Amino acid sequence: MFQKIDQYRYIIPTSYKKGMRIEGMVYADDDLIKQIEKDQTKEQVANVATLPGLVGRSLAMPDAHQGYGFCIGGVAAADPDEGVVSAGGVGFDINCGVRLLAAPVDAKDVQQKIEPLLNQLFRDIPCGTGRKGLLEISTSKLDGVLRDGAQWAVKNNYGREEDCARIEEFGKLPEADPSLVSARAKERGHHQLGTLGSGNHFLEIQRVTDVFDEEIARKFGVHEDQLVVLIHSGSRGLGHQVCTDYLDIMQDGMKRYGISVIDRQLACVPITSSEGQRYLKAMAAAANFAFANRQMMTHWVRNAFMRVLGTGDVKIVYDVCHNIAKMEEHEIDGKRRRVLVHRKGATRAFPKGHPVLPEELRDVGQPVLIPGSMGTSSYILVGTEQAMKETFGSSCHGAGRAKSRTQAKKETSAEQLLKEMKEKGIVVRGESRSGLTEEKPDAYKDVSRVVDVVHGAGIARKVAKLVPLAVMKG
Amino acid sequence: MSGPFNSYVSRVEAPYTILEHPADLGIEARGASLVEAFQNAAAGLISIILDPTLIEPREERQIRVTASDRDQLLVKWLSEILYLYDGEGFASKEFFIRRLGLTDVEASVRGEPFSPVRHQTRLDVKAVTYHQLLVHEGEPGALVRVYLDI
Repeated sequence: MFQKIDQYRYIIPTSYKKGMRIEGMVYADDDLIKQIEKDQTKEQVANVATLPGLVGRSLAMPDAHQGYGFCIGGVAAADPDEGVVSAGGVGFDINCGVRLLAAPVDAKDVQQKIEPLLNQLFRDIPCGTGRKGLLEISTSKLDGVLRDGAQWAVKNNYGREEDCARIEEFGKLPEADPSLVSARAKERGHHQLGTLGSGNHFLEIQRVTDVFDEEIARKFGVHEDQLVVLIHSGSRGLGHQVCTDYLDIMQDGMKRYGISVIDRQLACVPITSSEGQRYLKAMAAAANFAFANRQMMTHWVRNAFMRVLGTGDVKIVYDVCHNIAKMEEHEIDGKRRRVLVHRKGATRAFPKGHPVLPEELRDVGQPVLIPGSMGTSSYILVGTEQAMKETFGSSCHGAGRAKSRTQAKKETSAEQLLKEMKEKGIVVRGESRSGLTEEKPDAYKDVSRVVDVVHGAGIARKVAKLVPLAVMKG
Repeated sequence: MSGPFNSYVSRVEAPYTILEHPADLGIEARGASLVEAFQNAAAGLISIILDPTLIEPREERQIRVTASDRDQLLVKWLSEILYLYDGEGFASKEFFIRRLGLTDVEASVRGEPFSPVRHQTRLDVKAVTYHQLLVHEGEPGALVRVYLDI
């Protein structure tokens, strides 16, 4: 029972399900809403709306699909005094995110070098299932990573001073407390720093094919035909274990605080509780691990560019979190308030003038990076005031899955997929053949359609379109 | 091989089924008893991560997990098997649950240290979830269901 309120917005009223305390809202067009209705997304948006102390609406972005507890593509904000924090509302891959790098070369000038460049990246950046990183770091060093994130990496010569201004939160969530990350989480993560991972994680060499807003694109540091690199990765086993640990703690905590939830995966505790505060500090540490992870891969991308193209002057366009919970200031019912925004498969999309943006982006707005599925397009957008009014400054995070892994595998063989990619002029290197087919392009929704909804609804605005030349998959 | 593994370890033909989810995978495991269903679910989990036919049951590890109820116990039991692999690099193959209480599991697991050369990885499992979790014990047997974040 969706109530369509305009071309891009569908309300789920509180009468839809017993216990809903706030409305739900889904951003979609006529086609995407049909896809969203096929799975449990709507139920999950409604379930989230039953959690205590949420403000505004329980939101789903146009790339939303069924997840665990929260849908993927979900956004929900909680009052800091009355509200709850949910580990499931952030997800297992804490600070899974994307980073876009801009190279000082145009695609037309380096056509023959794309494959050697991909091969070099494939050699230099560990990827795939169960792969260890290039370095084993000690527990005390790992604590530095968890405390300082990308800033740790830069201090340790994996980057440049100016890199951090181009990362959400300057690459470091300061509330991180490494002592609240379990020994198990550290054990799962310490050898995975600087690894891409598997599943939907990838690295692509892309070309800027369309620029929709010249001025903003220029300020972001991108222009037509430029070569760019998009990295999609997260906090690896360390983040997965932090979520697992605190889901357990929250299961037990709920009894203490008299909270019951419709779905156990929505386990939550008051933000003000000791469990809630500990989770947020451990989550921040895992988020910092992910920032450092993407920073180290950036360093190796620069080295690969230097070796193959003779220039390592690759700049960060931006780095955004997809799975995170953060205290932010928003206007709710006409009043400015601090709220805890859960983004699960959603991107922050702050407009120009926002005080948390670095000086160099303050008169433009925050770059919003939307990766498409393998071999399709990706987009750069910019945050808007409208997003601040409606979505706690949030936008979509990608194409959003449309087919299950098993279905994708049944439909296409790895050989077929590689042939199709080759016909499109895209080189692919993948560690796992079955992993490749599970991530085939049409296993996802049409990213252009998703981005058009976001643009049309005004919760982010299109700046440029990117098309892959080479894909590295875990 | 001697000991309890011979008689109890789950080697039944297709003791588990892999379930679809829009983005991830699930396991449905059956058994004559809940003990068997739990063991089979563990075998299902490993079959998603690795090719189990290439794992040799050379070493044994002891596992003890406590939880506040049976549902949580299933999640924590499987999370333990996942941690053995992802945290300690131990590829499990055979599972023998000595005791399955309402809130605790005691088990021995046989397998060997993971070798990137000899073993074949399939998918990385991020975590075990509570999504549509089912622990059912009754006639004619037990059934458990669990979804994994991939």
